[in-house]
Amino acid sequence: MTTTDQGKNKLDTIIRACRLLSRMNQARPDAQKSEVLYYQMLSKYYTRLLKAKEEGNFIAAHTVFFPTEILYAMDIVPMHTEATTWMISLFSGECADILSAGSELGLASEICTPHRGLAGAYATGTLPRPDVMLWSNMVCDNTAKSGEMLMEINHCPGFFIDRPFKRSEEEERYLVGELEDMIHFLEEQSGRKMDWARLKEIVARMDRQIELTREICKLREAVPTPFHSQGFLELVSTDYLFPGQPEAIEYLETLRQELTEMVKAGKGAVPHERFRLMTLFLPPMYLIGFLEKISQEYGAVSVTEPFFTYWGEGRLDPAKPLESVAKKSYMIPEMRMYGPLDERALDNVVSCAKQYKVDGAIYYADVGCRHTCATIKLFKDILNEIDVPVLTLDCDVVDPTATSEEEVREKLEQFFELLEDR
Amino acid sequence: MDTSQRNNVKLRMLDRFREVNNAFPKTAQVLDYKLQGKKVFGWLCTYIPEEIIHAAGALPIRITGYSQETELEDGNAYFYINNCSFSRSCLQLGLRGGYDFLDGVVGGSTCDGARRLFDLWRYYIGTPFYHVLTIPRKYTQKAHALYYSQVKQFKKHLEEFLDIEITDEALYHSIQVYNESRTLLRKLYELRKLSAPPITGAETMEVLDASFRMPKELFNEYLSNLLDELSTSDNAHQGRARFMITGSVMANPEFIKSIEDQGGLVVADELCTSTRYWSDPVLLNGEEPPLQAISRRYLNNFPCARMFPSDERFNRILNLARDFKVDGMISQVIRYCVPYAHDLPLLTRKLKEQGIPTLALDVEYGTSGSGQIQTRVQAFLEMLEVRKR
Repeated sequence: MTTTDQGKNKLDTIIRACRLLSRMNQARPDAQKSEVLYYQMLSKYYTRLLKAKEEGNFIAAHTVFFPTEILYAMDIVPMHTEATTWMISLFSGECADILSAGSELGLASEICTPHRGLAGAYATGTLPRPDVMLWSNMVCDNTAKSGEMLMEINHCPGFFIDRPFKRSEEEERYLVGELEDMIHFLEEQSGRKMDWARLKEIVARMDRQIELTREICKLREAVPTPFHSQGFLELVSTDYLFPGQPEAIEYLETLRQELTEMVKAGKGAVPHERFRLMTLFLPPMYLIGFLEKISQEYGAVSVTEPFFTYWGEGRLDPAKPLESVAKKSYMIPEMRMYGPLDERALDNVVSCAKQYKVDGAIYYADVGCRHTCATIKLFKDILNEIDVPVLTLDCDVVDPTATSEEEVREKLEQFFELLEDR
Repeated sequence: MDTSQRNNVKLRMLDRFREVNNAFPKTAQVLDYKLQGKKVFGWLCTYIPEEIIHAAGALPIRITGYSQETELEDGNAYFYINNCSFSRSCLQLGLRGGYDFLDGVVGGSTCDGARRLFDLWRYYIGTPFYHVLTIPRKYTQKAHALYYSQVKQFKKHLEEFLDIEITDEALYHSIQVYNESRTLLRKLYELRKLSAPPITGAETMEVLDASFRMPKELFNEYLSNLLDELSTSDNAHQGRARFMITGSVMANPEFIKSIEDQGGLVVADELCTSTRYWSDPVLLNGEEPPLQAISRRYLNNFPCARMFPSDERFNRILNLARDFKVDGMISQVIRYCVPYAHDLPLLTRKLKEQGIPTLALDVEYGTSGSGQIQTRVQAFLEMLEVRKR
């Protein structure tokens, strides 16, 4: 396995697409400023990554929900592994080449496509080689197990954060210890020192970021709802890529302001809102544009995503930056699904459905995500108990060969008919 | 059987283990326990310390799925087709009343399948007692401290549920019973190092299966008798090649038998239903509380692929392969068992460096070795024979 280090194609594709979208939005008279800011933000993230090597920066590749605040505080360039595979799929529409390269490494087909594709992308040199690999067990076995092979492919050292499954003071303290060890590792590897004052600033902004996301989600309760159907992915990406960064605050404040004005004006995201939907798990990235089109066509809008936008209770304390970073890892909306599924976690889904006046829910059954698919029946049953029908759509989050627009359209149309009949 | 044999006399004690397995999950021993008004607790993974349940006067048994290939209609409906068939099989057996005698279920944050099995069991099956432990993935001092605290919480929760105190004396006694079991199993495995072992891999798996399904005291008695029987028997098995089995959870002797029917002899394994279950004893260390010794043993035990760094597991596999004079490795990874699927390319490379080729099989839990598997084993054997020439 070798890394050629020459491939910039994938990042180039993402950057060009983001710049184009940003320019197109600027030119559209009806476009919101937040739409421009969002794509500028993405473009900035990947441009920084693309230029990191020539500018002498240190790159840390990391798995999803990794405490990137620490990397920003140390002036280390982060490379979000799963999000980068999603972006490749979203902006290039296909990723057969990197998936096939992942399989050639010996990674079985049941290893989810974001991870298989990522290994393939590194092995073929279509992503910049990181200086260190950082990973954790915060989501699933794929994130917990991916690091060692990626270290080998990239010939780089790595650090694994062992994040306790349940939450208690003791478990949070253990996680703080893990973070301290990782900082020590990063200081040794990068030659950079942790800037604690900077981390405090980042944590303060992250707290603000969470508050802004909560406020935005509150605005989405309005009928009609003001935020476009797949807009929640922008909130998710903002947290994944820019936690506690000034760009994130600017984007979220702008978005909140725009949504506030829309709510005041009684203006919705779609011309005629007919169906208010709950989204469970991630839609296929290569169908995002298509799903937006369907949303407009049928007046069907995702108004709540309990596992992506609905932050857990609590505030971050800049005076205790590392403890706050640890605490955040338990407040992340996704942890409702990936943590222990107790009564409280289940009740949250029910209360979200009621709070957002949901007509139906769509469960994107990503064939590579065993963790989320295992709960399809469970969530279906508890939502059906409160008379919310659930549509299960089989798909793969990045591999377009798993499902087609036609299949998805047919299933959605049938579901909308069912909702209409009710 | 293609494996060449000398004086293959039927082992009388094996029938006793078979009786237990044939009645699984409602074995006579479990039902006897219940008749005596005692409690039975199911555990989901080898990171759950059985000694604590035993010291509480209850019977710990391992939750496993159907022993044979079975249609998993309920398992598929309640889980999803992309979840490992071990979890689906266990859940279906539970949903259909196979484990309705259980008073409690204990799980851990070991792998996605086990975690979700615990979640769904709790919601749909409704056993009276539940407990899930955070199980660290590292071996550091801090990880041991965290795990010890989890073990203490589990003990406390169990004491509250049963309204008893689990004393140190009871824990010492349980450690002694379980360590005896481990010692006896080690003796059994030592016999498999012989150039012509008196017991096959499939027969060994029958013994191991029974070990999860009956009181340890009785199992120890059975196993002692089997070892006595083996010591006086002239049974000797030789194969065209000596195999070791690695990978996902597996409890089906038929699978191993299908390999041995092709002419290979399975002499070692690295499975959580076998070597990884019994290999490390609880070591008592001076004034250290017995609970701490138990805790240390369970986190330091022969690791599952979930643990980090993986080299710890890889090195122990390489040592076993050397000690048991293994010619070839058979990896059996259940579809959607991600920890083992991730480790396989790295492990295969390390084995290759040691001159040990690997046959990688994708299987479903309970598989008994289909025609395709037999063909691949046959081809693997032929390849090994060519190498030997």
